Amino acid sequence: MSENRKIMIDLKDIVVRFGDFEALHNINVQVKEGEFFTFLGPSGCGKTTTLRTITGFIEPASGNVYMDGRDITNVPIEKRNIGIVFQSYALFPTMTVYDNIAFGLKVKKMSKAQIREQVYEIAEKVDLSQDQLKKAVGQLSGGQQQRVAIARALVMKPAIICLDEPLSNLDAKLRVQLRNELKKMQKDFGITTIYVTHDQEEALTLSDRIAVFNKGYIEQIGNPNEVYNFSQTEFVCNFIGDINRLNDEIVRRLIDFGAPVSPADHHYVRLERVHVNEQDGQTLLLDGVVTSREYYGLYIKYYIDCCGQTIKVIERNDGVRIYEPDEKVKISINPHDLMSYPAGADEAAVTGV
Amino acid sequence: MKIKRDLRGKREFNPSYLFTLIGLIAFVYLFVGFMLLPCLNTLVSVFNNTDKAGNWDPFAIIRFFFAGSMPTYVLNSLKLAVTLTITVNVVGISLVLLTEYFEIKGARILRLGYMTTMIYSGVALVTGYLFLYDKDGIITKVLCDLFPGTDKRWFSGYGAVLFTMTFACTSNHMLFLRNAIRGIDYNTVEAARNMGAGPLKVLFKVVFPTLIPTLFSLTVMTFITGLCAMSAPTLIGYDVINPEIVRLAGSSVADEAFPQARAALLSIILAMFTIILLTVLTAYERKGHYLSVSKTKAKLVKQKITNPVANVFAHIYAYLLFIVYMMPVVLIVLFSFQGVENISKKNFTLDGLTTINYVGTQAYTSTSGRKPKVYENALTGLFNNSKTVDGISTSLILSIAGAALACIVVVIACNYIFKNKGKKRSTVVEYALLFPWLLPTILICYSYRIYFNNDVWYVGGANLYSLLDGRLLIIMAYMVVKLPFSLRMIKASFYAIDEELEEAAKNLGSGKLRTFSRVKLPIILPSVLAVFALCFNALFSEYDMGATFHSVSTYGMIIKTMTERAENGRSMDNMNAMGRQCASTVFIMIVSGIVLYLVYGIGSRDLAERLEIRDRRRKRLYRIKSKLTGRKEEEPAPQNVYPKIR
Repeated sequence: MSENRKIMIDLKDIVVRFGDFEALHNINVQVKEGEFFTFLGPSGCGKTTTLRTITGFIEPASGNVYMDGRDITNVPIEKRNIGIVFQSYALFPTMTVYDNIAFGLKVKKMSKAQIREQVYEIAEKVDLSQDQLKKAVGQLSGGQQQRVAIARALVMKPAIICLDEPLSNLDAKLRVQLRNELKKMQKDFGITTIYVTHDQEEALTLSDRIAVFNKGYIEQIGNPNEVYNFSQTEFVCNFIGDINRLNDEIVRRLIDFGAPVSPADHHYVRLERVHVNEQDGQTLLLDGVVTSREYYGLYIKYYIDCCGQTIKVIERNDGVRIYEPDEKVKISINPHDLMSYPAGADEAAVTGV
Repeated sequence: MKIKRDLRGKREFNPSYLFTLIGLIAFVYLFVGFMLLPCLNTLVSVFNNTDKAGNWDPFAIIRFFFAGSMPTYVLNSLKLAVTLTITVNVVGISLVLLTEYFEIKGARILRLGYMTTMIYSGVALVTGYLFLYDKDGIITKVLCDLFPGTDKRWFSGYGAVLFTMTFACTSNHMLFLRNAIRGIDYNTVEAARNMGAGPLKVLFKVVFPTLIPTLFSLTVMTFITGLCAMSAPTLIGYDVINPEIVRLAGSSVADEAFPQARAALLSIILAMFTIILLTVLTAYERKGHYLSVSKTKAKLVKQKITNPVANVFAHIYAYLLFIVYMMPVVLIVLFSFQGVENISKKNFTLDGLTTINYVGTQAYTSTSGRKPKVYENALTGLFNNSKTVDGISTSLILSIAGAALACIVVVIACNYIFKNKGKKRSTVVEYALLFPWLLPTILICYSYRIYFNNDVWYVGGANLYSLLDGRLLIIMAYMVVKLPFSLRMIKASFYAIDEELEEAAKNLGSGKLRTFSRVKLPIILPSVLAVFALCFNALFSEYDMGATFHSVSTYGMIIKTMTERAENGRSMDNMNAMGRQCASTVFIMIVSGIVLYLVYGIGSRDLAERLEIRDRRRKRLYRIKSKLTGRKEEEPAPQNVYPKIR
């Protein structure tokens, strides 16, 4: 991704208050042109509030929103040229698919011929058939409805498009399918996209960059690899993926093994970085007993009692080495795989990326 | 007022704020001018009396109340209200259990019979019962034949009113209790059975507790209905508050002492009871309801009554109720096609079939004198009798206007309430619209009649009671009375609108007016039409309000007059009163049935259903065309087909 692309959205020191409650504390984010940027975080962390501040549904108490260099903080919603795909899709139930897509164009008072042409063009691009255009939105499947919502937003030729948890109402299989379609569509259109989700897997697979939110702060902004493997805060490391927090006994054994870590810090290791019955001289070996296992097909998750705590381990399912409960094993941890954070510093806000 | 900046930072004024301001001023005018001031005037009039010496005596009417017979009216009303809650609940719960919970053969037919009160009520229903049970009624005739000593006037007073109102007031049970019982998660019934509970234990310990909130609301509403009873006590004869208020409203000081103040006092007493009951109901509703916690709700399966004796008893009971409900309807329909002689003798013959009660005129031959005397065009049908036609057209206009105005005011107010959700100003608007709910209909109408029978400055100095024979005032009263009901129903549909729809429309550049007219209104329209239909049906044949105003003859009043004429013998101007009375009841049933079908049958279809029906119709036409021409016609292109973009 080219670094010298222009900044499409620039949030500067955004503070949002609802009465006495401060929902966003000094948020600074820059989204580049053509980027797929995700706001990720648990419920109530401020990701949707930030999105709604960009789209204009929420006025910030202080700070400014810039779009393509222009201050749009006080610009009405309809004049921001930002397309939105809502969580519920917000398709107008009393209109056909065609009328839903054409709604914004009619507001613009375009001629019937122009409207028809543009609706057909966008429908073709998002793979909606002519038959589907004549249907009521209630007659479409969840996936088709999502396409209508995207088409309705894109037909207005917005500068950026914002998607607020558009996959949250769908079943698991359809989510994966539509996730891929969404990414392909974004690449085809090349449009700057801001995506809100609480699903870390969705964020990691779709995004060019991710901003991880927590309690109205941004904890980290980075690409999926940075966020996953180089989590800057203890919150990010805990929120993204599953992880083992090591107890004092294992930390002491690691220090004895020569790991350059402080016993006062909190230390974590990801599940896939811990191995069972593997030894390469670089890793600390610890005795353990398998207490249970979860079979996922592609991999197997083991729960192993070790040094007074349960360590979770993910092993690739090769069909040969499968450990039974109560089986004695040795687990190996490489000190380089440790992620360490100072104790009590889990709410550090990272701003101004 | 809020001023936004556009992209160039230029300030721009939003005209919608001006509309909001105008709307709020109009709303305050409506509330203060047509709800608050007339009713306050009534309240003040209770204490605004003078003694014989002409001195102000605020408690004169209170003393008069306790010294005279006025407490009888209050006690009778209370007695009727209390007993009515018991009988209506017993019958209403039975109807719902028999049609929705237990497996009773022919339940669908039974349900149709039990729901007949939805298409005719009030004065029309009472005349239907009188047709069967009064001194010349069919049932009375049968009873007198079977038991010669039977008093022909057995159907009168408290018992008769209670009987009629019991079966007239179960519509709400069939609507709301039925919905509540259908909403029960069947898994809870199965779970109870699985844990060893018998059918009765399940009914009383699992099913009934979930119905308690609905039953409580229904009980309060029934109590208020009993307290404010009008048509049945007036026509059947029982001294309760409302008919007395109407009588006093039409009386003058020359006839009796303090007629206006007494009417006002009785209205205030009614209002006090209503306020207390509704406060209790609201407090109870605030406690919250039993909500199903099921994620996957199972549909209720009808329970078989395993005890054969109980099963037979339940079937007999169900069909007896069905007969009680259906008999007035069937007999009135049948006799509406009989001549006046057959109707008065309650003698149905195939030879006597005629449509004279509906259309046309006939000569009447009187044989009561020494020589038979022929009166030309004395028998007139419903649509050929000028008074009846006038009544129908008056009620049609007044009820359409009243119902439409109530819907318009409520839709605009709901839009405001919805937009200002959680803010104090929306609560104020909502409570103001619910205000008439606290006041009995009669109090509002009586207050209007007295207050607007003067030149009132804020209506342009006009006397609205005299203007157009009070028609404008009746429309306002109809509207005000229907505001609380319309608000409760339409507000619910507003809250069902996904808030993101409005945001989506705004994001696509749509202004407030377009968003309202193109996005929100089409969604709520079926509910608004349903409310309009229900209001119209209630107002079209209403008697209570028309009688209180007594300035113009509404259809309900004409029917009541026809009933009296039918009882008191024939006068020349009203020769075919009995026939037209039967035809009127049938006409009301048809009008109500059509309106309900249009609203609930056709109006409730969503876009998907409409498109499917259009498609099916198109295919059916294509098949018929193919059959007629004998060759395979090319299937017509569907509507709204757009050329493919290449």
